Amino acid sequence: KNDYPPLVRNVGRPGLLSVLITILLVGCSPLAVANLVYNNLIIDNFTYFCQIFLLLSTASTMVMCLDYFKQESLNAFESIVLILLPTRSMLFMISAYDSIAMYLAIELQSLCFYVIAASKRDSEFSTEAGLKYLNLGAFSSGILLYGCSMIYGFTGVTNFEELAKILTGYEITLFGAQSSGIFMGILFIAVGFLFKITAVPFHMWAPDVYEGSPTTATASFSIAPKISILANMLRVFIYSSYDPTWQQLFFFRSIASMILGALAAMAQNKVKRLLAYSSIGHVGYLSIGFSCGTIEGIQSLLIGTFIYVLMTVNVFAMVLALRQQNRLIKYIADLGALAKTNPILAITLSIAMFSYAGIPPLAGFCSKFYLFFAALGCGAYLLALIGVVTSVISCFYYIRFVKIMYFDTPKTWILYKP
Amino acid sequence: MLQVLAPFYSNLSGIILLPLLGSLIILVIPNSRVRLIRGLTIWTSLITFLYSPSFWIRFENDTAKFQFVETIRWLPYPNINFYIGIDGISLFFVILTTFLTPICILVGFYSYKKEYMIAFFICESFPIAVFRPLDLLIFYVFLESVSIPMFIIIGVWGSRQRKIKAAYQFFLYTLMGSLFMLLAILFISIQAGTTDPQILLTTEFSERRQILLRIAFFASFSVKVPMVPVHIWLPEAHVEAPTAGSVILAGILSKLGTYGFLRFSIPMFPEATPHFTPFIYTPSVIAIIYTSLTTIRQIDLKKIIAYSSVAHMNFVTIGMFSLNIQGIEGSISLMLSHGPVPSALSSCVGALYDRHKTRIVKYYGGLVSTMPISPTIFLFSTSANMSLPGTSSFIGEFPILVGAFQRNSLVATLAALGMILGAAHSPWLYNRVVFGHFKPNFLLKFSDLNRREVIIFLPFIAGVIWMGVYPEVFLECMHTSVSNLVQHGKFD
Repeated sequence: KNDYPPLVRNVGRPGLLSVLITILLVGCSPLAVANLVYNNLIIDNFTYFCQIFLLLSTASTMVMCLDYFKQESLNAFESIVLILLPTRSMLFMISAYDSIAMYLAIELQSLCFYVIAASKRDSEFSTEAGLKYLNLGAFSSGILLYGCSMIYGFTGVTNFEELAKILTGYEITLFGAQSSGIFMGILFIAVGFLFKITAVPFHMWAPDVYEGSPTTATASFSIAPKISILANMLRVFIYSSYDPTWQQLFFFRSIASMILGALAAMAQNKVKRLLAYSSIGHVGYLSIGFSCGTIEGIQSLLIGTFIYVLMTVNVFAMVLALRQQNRLIKYIADLGALAKTNPILAITLSIAMFSYAGIPPLAGFCSKFYLFFAALGCGAYLLALIGVVTSVISCFYYIRFVKIMYFDTPKTWILYKP
Repeated sequence: MLQVLAPFYSNLSGIILLPLLGSLIILVIPNSRVRLIRGLTIWTSLITFLYSPSFWIRFENDTAKFQFVETIRWLPYPNINFYIGIDGISLFFVILTTFLTPICILVGFYSYKKEYMIAFFICESFPIAVFRPLDLLIFYVFLESVSIPMFIIIGVWGSRQRKIKAAYQFFLYTLMGSLFMLLAILFISIQAGTTDPQILLTTEFSERRQILLRIAFFASFSVKVPMVPVHIWLPEAHVEAPTAGSVILAGILSKLGTYGFLRFSIPMFPEATPHFTPFIYTPSVIAIIYTSLTTIRQIDLKKIIAYSSVAHMNFVTIGMFSLNIQGIEGSISLMLSHGPVPSALSSCVGALYDRHKTRIVKYYGGLVSTMPISPTIFLFSTSANMSLPGTSSFIGEFPILVGAFQRNSLVATLAALGMILGAAHSPWLYNRVVFGHFKPNFLLKFSDLNRREVIIFLPFIAGVIWMGVYPEVFLECMHTSVSNLVQHGKFD
């Protein structure tokens, strides 16, 4: 009747509005501390903080997307719905208090993201990225589920509260294990989680998927899930099975992530691929806080996540804002002489980059400072040392952005639509 | 609102905030209103400069305590406050910084736009903050912050194609060193529960730890000084930077490292410091002789100045680690005198470069017949650079040698050799540029210094002679603080 109008923006604005209303609702929620739905969900200060934070990041992602949909003339209002759905499931994830609830929430979230990743049907890259993401995501969920079932099989409980009671003081070291079943179970859970946050031995999908998917999709699944999965991991590994063994696992993983993130990103020349590797590296930095397991460690992890998300939102907004003729920028070299053509964007992007690199008066420095502080506080000197060295290395490619924008004068002056 | 701001403004942080405020105001003025921007920048920097001696006047000479102390709560949990103050050591560095900034702005007065001015304001206010911290972490933050505007200054307004490499080198070298210092600072703050150096002075670390921490601090400061294996960035950055950039680099940024040594390394780790004196002396002596020899074979005017400034800064480290009052006071005065002297030289070279667009020595010659004023000033700064008695450098270098002689006569002898070599290259350079045959094939324009440039040089000359002839005013302010420092370490 209405000439089949493209509904993307019409759906997008109420979508954004609904996210904002949700923020209000969560913020003024009467349930400050509670266990819900037969102990399947929990609400405490931690979930409260994470949920507000998650909703804020979703809102900013949606703001970025709206313009993109219009200019790309994508008529797919489903993708707005598909951003709202995983947001809801991530809210569940943050407050999940039972391994079944956790798994279900993760699955719902991932399913939506698979669809978004493959949403641009006429582009081969997007299809391929969606396929890869689906395969590896499903695989990792399988591993996670297997871990949950082993835990259930050997303990008989799925609830985190009871799990915590059983596993306290359990001494699940690799040899001398009292129950190798529980050990394997938690190991599988850890691996599943590590897949989801693109930690290093399980990072294979991230660069391809980041690059291939539409940029809005990349923004939505590189920012928000990091918060929710880190929150979830904190819940599982700090509360219900607090054990030095896992910390060793995270220790190695964080070292590997930092090194790979720093070295691999150096050789990239595409913006999104570089961002993928940089996010791998940053997840490594965040895991420094994890591998300490002290109060400072977790505080620094949360601070680090907050700052990282802020910076990433900024950079993705920038990448989405820079369009030449009809496509988004692909190569870093396309940024040449941005300082002349669009100085404000250039300043913003270079501030974001310096902040990623952790140069003092900016926020990224604070996050790194807290993380190293925590690492030294718990005696993980090696971790701090490697963190320092890799952050110098990664500085090299972050300031390459600045160099390209300010110092280079390219042959072709590319004008961007503001 | 005003009442909240008033105490900050009236005291120390006003001088930090003033340039930042100025840069904020300039930020909103469009580039087309050039006159307004220029006027605003020059007046802001001048007001900041005129403001800084008020501390000197109000300064009390007979106490080693920090004066004009201010505290703002910053982070609640690791006991880190924004805590600043001045004592005899840092007083003159603050004045030096505010002294050099209007000159930097005047040097590039007509050629650049507002971004340039902003960058320099930032470059002013951060070092001021570095020179007066009473908190290690604040010190670190501002020490590192300087590298961002400097990176931009070298990269954007630098002169030639190698500028990017120079900017990179500058950035990565300094970052690499100072992140190790960050680890050390964090370690200290975990160990002692605070990062306030005054409390840390009374904290005892075990000797092994002291040595490790000392190495971490050394890693950062030795890059900034620069000591010999890691000095490569300075000539590169110096050559590629615009004139005002080299003024900042040589005048202020190279002081950050030596100031850090003096303020943190020496008093905080008194047991590790004697272990380290050979470790400091050897590279310093090598640096003095090596860079003095290197200057002789360089063909780039600015590189010669840069290498000779490396030699001078290593003199400073020698004096500092002789750990007696003469040595340390000498090193402070050499740092102070080394602020204006290479800056004047760089400005001379900058003026030559503006006219002839080259810095290769070969193309110059016989300048004395075309531009009489510039060689006069050049002669003055060259002789100050080779520490002629009567200039401020002599006041610095002589006590350093006296101090070093008490500690280790071999070092003093070798360092004195460096003085000879330094004196060898300076007149030679002057000779090659100013005297000899005039080379009309290369030099096509003959314009002497204009009024603005002469005005730039006047404060340099005044400062150098004042300090060279009557150093007492400078020395009496720092004397109490320095002797307190020496007594604290029980070095004598």
